[in-house]
Formats: sequence, structure tokens, C-alpha cells
Amino acid sequence: MSALPRLSTIFLAAITTLVAVLLYSPLFVPIVSSFFTISHGSVDWSSPTLATYVALAENHDILTALRTTLIVGVCTVILSVVSGTLLALYYHGRRSGRSLLQFIIFLPFLMPPIISGLALLIFFREIGLERSLLTVVIGHTVFVLAIVYRTVLMRLQSMSRTLVDASYDLGATGWQTFWRIILPNLSSAMVGGAILAFALSFDETMITILVTGTQSTLPVRLWAMMRLGFSPDINALVALILMFTVLLCVLAARFLIPRQVATERT
Amino acid sequence: MNQNTDLLTLRSVSKSYGTVPVLHDIDLSIRDGEFLTVLGPSGSGKTTVLRLIGGLEPLTSGEIRLDGQDISRMPINRRPFNTVFQDYALFPHLTVSGNVGYGLSVRHIQRKEIARRVAEALDLVQLGRFADRFPAQLSGGQRQRVALARALICQPRLILLDEPLAALDLELRRQMQVFLKSIQREIKTTFLFVTHDQEEAIGMADRICVMEAGHIRQLGTPHDLYYRPNCEFAARFFGENNLVAGKLGPVQGELRSIETTLGRLVCSISDQPHLKAATDGASAYAAFRPEALHLADAKDTDNHFSGTISDMAFAGSSTVATIMAGADNAAQRLRLRVPSRVDGSALKSGETVSLSFAPHEGHLVLA
Repeated sequence: MSALPRLSTIFLAAITTLVAVLLYSPLFVPIVSSFFTISHGSVDWSSPTLATYVALAENHDILTALRTTLIVGVCTVILSVVSGTLLALYYHGRRSGRSLLQFIIFLPFLMPPIISGLALLIFFREIGLERSLLTVVIGHTVFVLAIVYRTVLMRLQSMSRTLVDASYDLGATGWQTFWRIILPNLSSAMVGGAILAFALSFDETMITILVTGTQSTLPVRLWAMMRLGFSPDINALVALILMFTVLLCVLAARFLIPRQVATERT
Repeated sequence: MNQNTDLLTLRSVSKSYGTVPVLHDIDLSIRDGEFLTVLGPSGSGKTTVLRLIGGLEPLTSGEIRLDGQDISRMPINRRPFNTVFQDYALFPHLTVSGNVGYGLSVRHIQRKEIARRVAEALDLVQLGRFADRFPAQLSGGQRQRVALARALICQPRLILLDEPLAALDLELRRQMQVFLKSIQREIKTTFLFVTHDQEEAIGMADRICVMEAGHIRQLGTPHDLYYRPNCEFAARFFGENNLVAGKLGPVQGELRSIETTLGRLVCSISDQPHLKAATDGASAYAAFRPEALHLADAKDTDNHFSGTISDMAFAGSSTVATIMAGADNAAQRLRLRVPSRVDGSALKSGETVSLSFAPHEGHLVLA
């Protein structure tokens, strides 16, 4: 970097700032405006207020949707972490069919959500499964599985093979090696994967709309509110979801940085 | 501990990975309490020998016996051996004492007992102060010692060390060599040490097993290997050596002559019956160390030849001269090592000199 002339450094900084502002400033508009009231279709900048948030907290539908979102999120996390870890262990064990398995796991994550959602919808109808929170959880798990799987697998692959050898060499059984060596070394990747899975489940809209029954999650609720017209509490809701998601991502990053770096810092 | 009884015996052990053979019919006995070094270049199969003994890999054929019992099929976690891995393989999520105590805690030994023995083992490797650190907070040499403590706390019959010093810098490696040797003397456990470094092997081992291309080429004390190598590979592998090809001549008691481009040379064959038995005219090498070669004087009755000094290399305590010797002064490259002198060497590049070595300092190697 130091080899770059001063002028080009300034130029690069300017471009970077411009791109960042253009791309990301729209995200801040709802956050900022959520602290002001809207009258006659325009934002009244004169008096900051928390009124929109108070209104949100008193909105029964929103609170129910929040509860639904949390239930779905927690169930999805449990299901995807357990199955994602098992699948990663299966893949890492160099067993048969591993590339096909990996392809299938990544498919729903890479496909347009509307296709995944429709496929699930048709599937649930064919097997006669009523649309409910269960179908939402299944839909979310299929979607986020790839993230947990990938996170855990990467940690497994970076783990030295000789750790397992050393454990056996010191007299441990297969179970002891799994519980005392493999699992603890995966735990931070599992937590990180779980947080990412939760964040994805929290925001997921398309699949949820298609496979949910009567209950709606927060993003679905937001979608429904938007169709009725733009109201100030939408700003507040957008702001809250945004902040929560950012928080989760920061948290996930903390668990996903390599362990060595973390311990060296303490 | 009796160094004359065999602890572990490998009988016609072979190993292949798929169709690629890596070990051919190995026979090896490890004596109780000895420091045995398996030495060879990379790809010689030395690490495979260690992995087979440790149980990390199954044998393709042959058997491994411990105290006469076949343990070839015993699972790794039941074998009374422990390994110090090349990358140490310390568990990153456990502290130093957690690592060292692991082998005891998986055997459900009481916590108090574990704590006592961990403290003991850490004292032995001089790491008592570091008990609560994590491996990432230790230096290479310290990790090495944790790995050693973790292996010896289980009181194994045999400790397997897989190039444990390879990752350390030269100074630390020398310290660890001395340290390992002193620990081995103190706990009187059998060590099987794998390395590609011949200097390391000579400095530490009671016996050295030289391997090449999946075969054991020679097994003996460092002194044997240095002065009585039994094959060309061993003769070239250990230190610097001068090898001159020729045809064997008649036996004269403990000496035998060999016809070479340098003329007739006479070398010792004492304690080497296979050299006495070899037929006249068989291809062989006369081998003599650079430090055995010297400027000829009146006392030297045998092994006279002349050569031209082509290069002088100062190497600290000694100076090495490269000499082209033989009929046309270019047939044979030899090395001559003399102690260095502050006022410079008497030898000069380009000079033609008369050389010799004493018959008892030369030996023969069958080609």
C-alpha cells in the first residue's frame, strides 16, 4: 500500500466513499426517519420522537409475529445445527456419495427462494402435510442448512487430522474422541453457524409466505403492512430488523474467527 | 530394564498403499530400554514403520510382537505405546495440564491422581509454570515438551517420536536433543525416534536403523555405522566419505586388498565376515573418511596415491580440500579434512600432493 502515490490513495478513498454512500445510505433512511413523525406524506424533521416504536410495541399483531419468528428461528437453528453437523461429519469421513450430498445441500440455498418455496409447497400438498409452523420450520431448515454445513465442514477440514490420531493414541475410544476432542473444536463454528442460521431464518420471507399456514412471521407481517400502505411504524420495524440482523452478523463473526487468534489475544 | 531382551519385534512386515509398496519385508527388534533411531531420507518408509507400530495404520502382511505376543491387530487405543507427533498434535481447546492429563482421564483415573501425575510430568519437562496456558500461548520448544509429557505420563512401554525436532530451529534442536536423551535416561523408557537428520541420529541413538526405499539397510551403533557401513547407501549417507570403486583382491588376515584406479588399496575387514567370504574380483568400494586421509610420509607403507588439490574450503574448526586423484588426475574426487590453523593451511589449491590413509582406517563396502 505504501508504494501507492499519495494522490491515488486519496482518489481510491474518494471512490470507495462514494460507492459506500450510494449503496448503503438507503439503508439508513428508514432508521433515521423512524425517529420522526410523518404528517401529510412528508417527514416532520422538527421533533424527534419514539412514538413509532411505542406504537409498534402496542401492536398486538406485530408482537405475535415476533413470537412466531422467534419460535421458528429457534426450531430451525436446532434442526439445522444438528443435521448440518452430522452431514459435515459424514462428508468429512470420505464416505460414498459425498459430492452428490453436497450438491443437494447447496441447491436450495442457491436456487431462487420462490422455486424452493414452490417445490416445498407442492411436496407438502402431495404428502398431505397441513401448512403450519412445522412446514415453515422445515422450509427454513432446508434453506439455511447449507450455511451451517459449510461453516462446520470448514472447521473440520482445518482441524489437524493428527488431533484425532493423538486422542486414540492416548487411549481414548471413538466416543471419547468425538465428545472430548472433535466436538469442542467444532463448537465455536457450530455457534457461529447457528447465529447465521438464525439471522437467515429471521429475515426469510419468500419461502415463508408460500409454506406458512395462518400464522405470519415478522417479515411476512411487514410485507402485509406494506400492501395496505406506508405507515410510520414500518420504518421502525425495518430499523429494528436491520439492527438485529447486523447484531447477529457481528456476533457470528466473533465465533467464526479462528480460535488461535482468539486465544492469543487473551 | 534389560537392554538385551527384545521388547518389540517386527517380523517380515510389509506395507502397501493400494498397489504402491512402501515397506518390503522388514525385520526389526527393539530392545527394552534402548534409544533406537530410525534414519532415512524422505520416502524411505521410516514414518510408516512408526505408524505401523503405533497402530495408526494396519499392516499389509507380517506381524508385530510385544513381549512375544502378536499385537498386529490390537487397536491403537489399547497399545501400550504413545506417540509424539511431528506437528505435536496438542489439543488447542485444552490447557497444558488438560493436554498432559488427557491420557489418564480417558482411562477414568481419579482427578486427584491425575493432578498429581500431571504436576510430576510437567516438572520432568520443566513446564510446571505453564500448566494453565493454552498451546497457542507456547513457543515451539515448549509445545514439544508438552507433547512429550503427554506421551510419557501414560507410562508407555515404548515412546514413538515422529521427527519431533524437525520444526525447531538449529539451536533449539540441539538443546532438545540433549534434553530428550537425558529424559530417556531418567525414565528408562524405550524410545523409537524417527528422523532424516543423520547428525541428530548419531548424537542421540544407542542404535540406528538405516532405511532406504522401504528396506532396512543397516542396524547398528552410531560408531558401527560411521566406521563400518555395510552398504554403499549407508557409507554415503553418514557424514562425508570417500568411496573408490574397484575389484576385491586377496584376504591378508584382518585386511583385504582392492584394485582401484588409485592402485592397490588395503582396508580393514575385522568383524565383517561377509567381506572375508566375498569372492575375489567382486565389485566393491574402498571407503575412508576425509579425516583419515593425510599427506603421505615415510611411515606409510600402504595406500599411496597422488592427487591435485582443486579446491580448499574453510569450515571453521577444520578445512576441507577437494582433490582430484588417480591416473590422469581426474578420475576420482576425494575429500581431505585437516584441522584449521590460524596462519592458514600448508595446502594450496593447484598443488600436487602425495596422499595416504592407514589400512585400519579404511573399510570395504560391497557394491
